[in-house]
Amino acid sequence: MRSMLKPLPAFAAALLLSASWGAVAKAQDFDWRAHEGETITFLANNNPWATAVLKYQDEFEELTGITLRVDTYQEQQMRQRLLTVMNARSDEVDIFMTLPSREGMQFAAAGWYKDLLPYATENAAPDYDFEGFSPALVEAATFDGVLTGVPLNIEGPLLYYRTDVFEECGVNPPDNLSKISEVAAQIKECKPDMTAFASRGLVPALPYTFSNFLHNMGGSYMADGKSNLCSEEGKKAIELYASLLKDYGPPGVVNYSFYQLTSLYREGRSVMSFQSSNEFPAVMEGGARLEDTAIVPLPPGDGGSHPTTIGWALAISQFSANPDAAWYFVQWASSPEMQSKLALEGIAPPRNSVASNPDYQAWLAEQPVRQQWQKALEHLADEGTSEVGYPIIQNPESREYIGQAVNAVLLGTSTVEEACAAADEQLNALIARE
Amino acid sequence: MDTSNSQKAQLAALSAPSVIFTVVMIAFPFCYTIWISFQAVSATGMMRFDGVANYVRMVKDGQFWNGLWITIYLYVLSLTLQLVCGTALALLLFRARRLPGFIRSLFISPFMLPPVVAGMMWLIILDPSLGAANYILTSLGLPPSNWLASPALVVPTLALIDTWQWTPYVALIVLGGLQSLPPSVYEAAEIDGASRTKTLFRITLPLLLPTLVTAMVLRSVDLLRFFDLIYITTQGGPANASTTLNIYGFRMGFEFFQFGYAGALMITLSALVLGVVLALNRLRNAVAW
Repeated sequence: MRSMLKPLPAFAAALLLSASWGAVAKAQDFDWRAHEGETITFLANNNPWATAVLKYQDEFEELTGITLRVDTYQEQQMRQRLLTVMNARSDEVDIFMTLPSREGMQFAAAGWYKDLLPYATENAAPDYDFEGFSPALVEAATFDGVLTGVPLNIEGPLLYYRTDVFEECGVNPPDNLSKISEVAAQIKECKPDMTAFASRGLVPALPYTFSNFLHNMGGSYMADGKSNLCSEEGKKAIELYASLLKDYGPPGVVNYSFYQLTSLYREGRSVMSFQSSNEFPAVMEGGARLEDTAIVPLPPGDGGSHPTTIGWALAISQFSANPDAAWYFVQWASSPEMQSKLALEGIAPPRNSVASNPDYQAWLAEQPVRQQWQKALEHLADEGTSEVGYPIIQNPESREYIGQAVNAVLLGTSTVEEACAAADEQLNALIARE
Repeated sequence: MDTSNSQKAQLAALSAPSVIFTVVMIAFPFCYTIWISFQAVSATGMMRFDGVANYVRMVKDGQFWNGLWITIYLYVLSLTLQLVCGTALALLLFRARRLPGFIRSLFISPFMLPPVVAGMMWLIILDPSLGAANYILTSLGLPPSNWLASPALVVPTLALIDTWQWTPYVALIVLGGLQSLPPSVYEAAEIDGASRTKTLFRITLPLLLPTLVTAMVLRSVDLLRFFDLIYITTQGGPANASTTLNIYGFRMGFEFFQFGYAGALMITLSALVLGVVLALNRLRNAVAW
């Protein structure tokens, strides 16, 4: 399991140290107008980070004189567009958003990322503070010594629940994974017209939430180079996750991803919702859930607490015709100043300095739920693992088989034994193809 | 150079742009797909010749057969519904000639919507928890349905959405056919005292057969390549219950980087489309009058 903030890995420390020396040496020569008149293209995922940062696009263009063209797509479509561009070795895209935990190993092996370490060390603005990034996130974005992207946020699935409903029903929130079904049953009995527990059910999307169940249960995806989904812990995790959604989830949960979860919870139709920390601003939009929601990490299980913790990163294409100008956008968008602004809009900052910023602290203090959200994120940073799916180059395909196994049990088309055996067979074949 | 050669050269020069366009835009991608279907493409984009391995894998792949079955099931169901509803709508519009223009436009408006918009619209309407469809059902005392989230209902639901969108298109084709039918046949039927039902089944529909086969050809090409609506609404789920060959091939290529295998799937799908179109063309010749 790849821990997020275990003792600082030596090479990540070396990266940050070299960055700070380089920054000192080059900072005085830095000129924001060095690439004036150039045009760069940014392929963006239409998520809360991109939406928030692109509101300041004019400021970037005024500061640098660089024209920024933006192509925005939904996450899946963005990847498909990127894949086409990269396979053609085209320079159409200079900068793109990437999820190192998903495609990092694959894109790095294909040589699609520009190494950003030389940029961060030799061509950063004086106040860029590269060493201020969470070392774990820098490590998660580093493959074979290549820094594939700079961290934009920290995120993971959290349990959002309705304090008013729990109080009204006289039920305590679950403090252990083994109690979550019991609690959901009590809620369902008390409030039959509400969804007691909701989480992702859509095949490609559910490994993000399921992984937390697996790891808290003490399971892992791989052991001794083979798929380990059929371990006792793996089977228990599949059983629990699928039965929670089957018995207490919303109708049609097999098609649920973040969008449906957010809508359902915001509308006051679900009591417990296990979904991304990134959705916090969307969930709180309109203010209906500000006063009656608490947020915690998923309760620990037999294997302890190992929340899923990932982060988006900003990368430069290896085939970019303007990598130097592209770097200017990358460092502007990931600067402490910008991340401080974005934090006030609910984008969890990947720098400790931003998290302790007085403005951010004041924003958190305005609502107890914001403080709970931040506390849960700190737990993610301390104890989290970035393992979502199999730690192999074909990680995206591995997620498909995990999702299919959970879905088959959820829909009742297979037993847990049959589903995990079928998944293991496909996953071992996938591992063998590496 | 004699006149004949000069004319040939002129003709060649004039037709060259269209020939080049056809080769570049149609023949090249098709040939490239055939070529790539014989390659093993790694997750990092490396290619090597792999013979017919992708086709052998396809024959052994349960998901391929599942995709083929869903493609055919969706095709037959949608085409049947669209032909029946389209013909009925065309007959209605043909008889109600005094129907105000805006009502006629309303009838044919769904197919003017981009499929992505139609997909999003129906996704919201059919949401089992928050959608209007279940709200209406429960208000009428009927049980709610899982629509697109049920493995058993997903294909019929997709067929209904597609029928809602494309019935007007079929109706317009059939309406054109109705307007071209010879009035003398109807006059003779009237003199012979044929009932309206008899006239419909013994005269109108048989005479409309060539038009209906034309509509079948046009819809068949789209229905066998069914993609956008599924991609927007279910992405092939739940549990692969709506993963058509086209969706499966797309996911193999653009989500899992298996372009060789995706190429083999697409060539197979192209062969299926070509086969159906050729068969329908023969049928059209057979029913021509």
